[in-house]
Formats: sequence, structure tokens, C-alpha cells
Amino acid sequence: MKKTSSIIATFILCYLFWILFTLTFTAQELIAGAIVSLLVALFAEKYLIHEDAFHLLKPNVLLNFITYVLFVFPVELWKANVDVAKRALSPNLPINPGIVKVPVDLQSEYGLAMLANSITLTPGTITMEIVEEDGQHFYYIHWIDVASKDPKEAGNIIKGKLENWIRRIWK
Amino acid sequence: MIARIIIDLFLLLGCFFAFAGVVGLIRMPDSFTRMQSSTNIATLGVLWTVLGVAIYAFMNNNIAFGIKVILIGVFVVITSAISGHAILRGAYKHGIRPDNLVVDEYRRDNPDE
Repeated sequence: MKKTSSIIATFILCYLFWILFTLTFTAQELIAGAIVSLLVALFAEKYLIHEDAFHLLKPNVLLNFITYVLFVFPVELWKANVDVAKRALSPNLPINPGIVKVPVDLQSEYGLAMLANSITLTPGTITMEIVEEDGQHFYYIHWIDVASKDPKEAGNIIKGKLENWIRRIWK
Repeated sequence: MIARIIIDLFLLLGCFFAFAGVVGLIRMPDSFTRMQSSTNIATLGVLWTVLGVAIYAFMNNNIAFGIKVILIGVFVVITSAISGHAILRGAYKHGIRPDNLVVDEYRRDNPDE
């Protein structure tokens, strides 16, 4: 049952992208797309889906996800981009790089991956490694301007609002 | 006319961030900070440009073109996050240790790597 639902979820994702890429609604294209998507779903399902397959389609989760992708994250992205662009263009190159270890209060694999990718995408911070020690997850983050060496405070500066929003989506 | 100005503004913003990223790429002192600067290009440099092109496509009623352009933006953003992480970690494990790091807690916790 669990396997079937994850195959269906992967199939829907693949088919959606097929339709968006071709955007011609002739029977030939649609049938070919369905066959290819089904084959991909059969082989790739175990790599893609590890938890509840349709979790993202619950209405409040979907709403939070869309808000995060369209509004919360772009604002952070803009701030970080302007900051790094200023650093690169300013004459005396004010950088202060270092690798810090930051605690993360997320349990879900998807949540951890999503937060790590969000941190990597904002210029100025790149996630190096995720480790687990006694049930608590830590990120090693390369940071272009180490404002604080205290793990909690550094975590607050780097993650900002992102972690709370992701916890609403993935627990 | 106004839409045309908005499109040009978006393309200019994309060019500006790509320019800032390239300047950083040349000026930064070590590989890790260079990677940080190049993230500028892969995020807002691409996203503003893609947004401008998408508006142009939708204005000319070319829906297929617009959706493909937006998908390109989505895929660039998703893949550049993972590749950035993999390259940085690969560089570190390969043995590149910049001497300007003010703190290196990965080295402290994994001294033999």
C-alpha cells in the first residue's frame, strides 16, 4: 500500500513535468508521457519518497509551502544577495569566513534537506555536512562573515525565519 | 510600453547580480569564498533574467515558451543548491584549507579527515 502510493506520487510529479515541458495535448504525446513516467516512477520511487507520499498535498501544508516558496524565501534571498554583492564590490573586501556548527530542531529528512538547500542558496552561507548526535541534528556551515561563534546565536542569524516556516511544513 | 520598461529593469537587475558575482569570483581570496560569491549568479542573476523573459513571453501570448523559461529557473535553483554543497564538501575533503578561516569547527570535530 505504501509502495503503491509512493509510485503514484512519483508518477504524478513526472507526468506534471512532462506536460509542462511539452504543452501539446495530443493523444500521442500524452500516452508516451504516461508510459515513460510510469517506468521512471517504478524505478525511482524508492529514492524519492521515504515518508508520507501525499503529505505535501494537505491543504494547510500546501498553503505554507506556497507561502514559503513565493514570499518568505525570496525576501531572505534578496537580502543575502544584496549583502554579498556589496561585499564583492566594496573596495576593501570585508570578509571574515569560517565554518560554524549550528543545531537544527527538525526531524524529517525532507525538512532537513529543504533547510540545508535554502541555506546553501542564500549567498554567504553554504551547508557542508549534516550530522546527528544523540537525536539532535547539526549543520556545518561555511559562512562568509562569522558574526558570532556561539552556536545558538549563529544559528539564529543564519536560519532566521526559515526554520520556523519549514517546521510548519515538515514538522 | 510600461511592460517593456519593467522587462528591461528585470534584465538589468539580473545583469547587475551576475556582474557582482563575477567581480567577487575574481577578487575573493580562496575557493570557498569564491563559491559564495558565485551563488549570486546562480540565484538572483538567473531568477531576475528568467522573470523578465517569462513576462516577455506571456505578453506575446506564447504560453509554452513562458512556462519552459520558468521551469528552467526552477531547475537551475534546485540543482545549483545541491551542486554548490557537493563542490564545497569535495574541496574540503580534497584537502583545501584556506588560512583565513576565523573558526573551523568541522576540523575540530573531525581532526583526521
